[in-house]
Amino acid sequence: MSVRQLWEGADSAPWIQQLDGRTKLLTLFLFAVLSITIDNPRSLFLLFTVSLILHGLAGTTIHKWRVLAVLLLLGLWGSMVSQALFYAQNPRTPLLLLISPEVSFFGPLTGGLYIYQEGILYGAIQGMRSVTMLSLGLLVCWSSDPRQLLQALMSWHLSPQVAFMLVTAIRFLPVLAAETGEVITALQLRSDSQQGRTAILRHLPYIIKPLLARCLRRSQTLALSVVSRGFFLANGKGRAMLWRGREKFFCYSLIMVITIVVSSKLVYLLSEQGLYFGALRQIYDWTKMYL
Amino acid sequence: MSMLKITDLSYRYQSRQQFTLHRINLELEPGGMLLLAGRSGCGKSTLIKAISGLLSEQGGGELHGHIYLQGEEITRESPEKIGILVGTVYQSPDDQLFAMNVADEVGFALENQGLAPDFIQQQVRETLALVGLAGMEGYGIHQLSGGQRQRLALASILITKPKLLILDEPVSQMNPQGVQQFMQLLLRLNQQEQLGILMIEHRVNELAGYFQRLAVMQEGRIVYDGPMEEAWSPVEDVALSGLREPQNVKLCRLLGLSRLSFQEQVVEELVRRECQLKPQTKAFHLQTSTRQEVLVEAKDLVYTYPGAAAPTLRGLSFSLYAGQITALMGFNGAGKSTLLDLLGGLNKLQQGQIFLGGKPLHDCLGQVGYLRQEPDLMLLADTVLEEIAWKNKSLSRSEAESLLQRLNLQEYAEDFPLGLSKGQRLRLVLGAMLAKRPRLILLDEPTTGQDEASLTEIKNLLLDFQKQGGSVFICTHDVELAAEISSRVLLLQQGRFIADGPTRQVLGQKELLQRGGLVVPSLVRVCEALGLPPCITAEEVGHYVSASVMGGC
Repeated sequence: MSVRQLWEGADSAPWIQQLDGRTKLLTLFLFAVLSITIDNPRSLFLLFTVSLILHGLAGTTIHKWRVLAVLLLLGLWGSMVSQALFYAQNPRTPLLLLISPEVSFFGPLTGGLYIYQEGILYGAIQGMRSVTMLSLGLLVCWSSDPRQLLQALMSWHLSPQVAFMLVTAIRFLPVLAAETGEVITALQLRSDSQQGRTAILRHLPYIIKPLLARCLRRSQTLALSVVSRGFFLANGKGRAMLWRGREKFFCYSLIMVITIVVSSKLVYLLSEQGLYFGALRQIYDWTKMYL
Repeated sequence: MSMLKITDLSYRYQSRQQFTLHRINLELEPGGMLLLAGRSGCGKSTLIKAISGLLSEQGGGELHGHIYLQGEEITRESPEKIGILVGTVYQSPDDQLFAMNVADEVGFALENQGLAPDFIQQQVRETLALVGLAGMEGYGIHQLSGGQRQRLALASILITKPKLLILDEPVSQMNPQGVQQFMQLLLRLNQQEQLGILMIEHRVNELAGYFQRLAVMQEGRIVYDGPMEEAWSPVEDVALSGLREPQNVKLCRLLGLSRLSFQEQVVEELVRRECQLKPQTKAFHLQTSTRQEVLVEAKDLVYTYPGAAAPTLRGLSFSLYAGQITALMGFNGAGKSTLLDLLGGLNKLQQGQIFLGGKPLHDCLGQVGYLRQEPDLMLLADTVLEEIAWKNKSLSRSEAESLLQRLNLQEYAEDFPLGLSKGQRLRLVLGAMLAKRPRLILLDEPTTGQDEASLTEIKNLLLDFQKQGGSVFICTHDVELAAEISSRVLLLQQGRFIADGPTRQVLGQKELLQRGGLVVPSLVRVCEALGLPPCITAEEVGHYVSASVMGGC
């Protein structure tokens, strides 16, 4: 599988490819709301698991699973490590001392560097939020035709220009991935040393400029191409697509569930601030346990 | 009534002092075909934008004159309205395709018009059949070959049934056989659908036979607009016009024939009538370097891509010599780029050995310069001068400036490299490579999208490098280029060499060229008709034919 194919969405299961762009985007948005609302690590993990199950059902290929695994692990690990080191809230329990405050120069400079237990947990929660969204975001990218998402955005009356700009990023994801590989190859070829001829990491700082220049050129051509095919026609009457009843029902149900979750969380937070209603006690308990 | 009529059209971009288009007058009859040529930066693309309605005065530019489409003035109409009547296909299909599968891409324009899905489906089927992609509705875009993607781009435009089709260098990235197939398709559409076609392309040498009419632009003006057959005498300064002249026209010029023509039969007749044939003359030999120092030695190279069922390279053994330009030719997918990647050190050797100057290649990769198909991706610095010296501590400023002079880029020393023209960008990357004083240069299709002037400069740079003892290994589909600069050709087919010999010998064999996926040069056919040994350059034909006694050109 080429780098380009790795980022294209043509090989996922038909059921997810055929889903309406609105269903996909709305689900993505509602999951984002959910993952921000929930603080409970177990529930967040459950949410993350759901996103992985969806990948499984969508028939994500083994090559894409590998990419997904690397990105998820990097995201989770990065968040946990950074929070473990720089967790600033109290109480905090040092698990490990990395630099003692007594060590010359770095000690006084950092005030001591520790690994905090609470930081690891906090990092895991934050990380779980971001990797859930990363996982779902990739699922949408890997299973959607840009045109589908564009139509979804337009049917929500987003300006065609803005919708086009948003979706172009997804359209160029496969091309960008392939060209990144090409630029790294070019950098290897222009390297001044024997090692540079096969190295990758050392060339990463230089890849932005040629990639950006190419993207500008490409996006200009794409814009001209869609303009001449009548995409920015003022009335856009053709884009009033049928949103299948099943999908609509699913989305409305999800909206309802998430409204309940967010409301529960709100009343719970208000109760913590003193606005407590005895009749809502079961909701408080439920929220505390699961959210 | 004309399909397209442009009168006194001038345009100046807001950021420029000079007008890019100067009083352009052009007319195209319904169902007419026009080839518009000219060197890079002469205003061709600006003219296309003007016709497509993309040059409004809202952008701050200055637009004068009128454009009429089927009698109706469209000079200041919106691109969407014009788009229904005028379809535009661009150079790279990858940049203009928006959807992920074939059916969605083709149906996109009709969806935008709000038509019923059933009707769209039917139109998609019909349009795909029209461009030779019938039954491929469900294919993903990445499953298509480059030529099929260009056909798809065409189908996505044709579905709205435009009256005029504008094509901006659509074949510049195709191999000669791909060009032939694409042009046959356009001819069919032109005849069956009465579709007006306006094509912009540098490769006039390859396309002359498909168009009756040629317009040549130079510095924003139309300097010639008339029959293709009569174009060559008025267009005297070929380099300035950017035209790649057909070989037959070059031959007519060389022999001083009374008429310049690209048509084989006409040239044959003219030569017979005006010149004396000397087929028994001693065989023509190019003056080649006598140095035969082996620079690269490759033994038994086998390469298989991960997951591939069969190897791409199947036991290749060959040598490359110092002071020699060798052309590597063959079908797409024959293994040419794979071989270059191995020589450039980008792929690891799986089987076999490569030596450079007697040492394993891996130990001396710094002595190999490799220019890949997309030179833009190799431009990394902020100025042209910096680019030349990028990661090259051994190069002094004066050496860099002198190199810029050789590259004819001295006046752009402080310019942003990606802001240069296509030809200049290619020369700059080549220059940066030469600045590292390599012993071997590898080039992968360096002539793609280059006009004649730029091509000449690149050829001169390579010939200079060769004279200094460097070895050039150039992968190309361009038979004319190979004939002009290389002294040896390696012809690759399915990972094996089917020919390795002097350029004239290999490119003069019709059957061999066809087996290797190349187009037989028209000069070879002219020579055959004249009873001369096969020749691949006009100079060679001149060796067997006396100059015209009638003269005139």
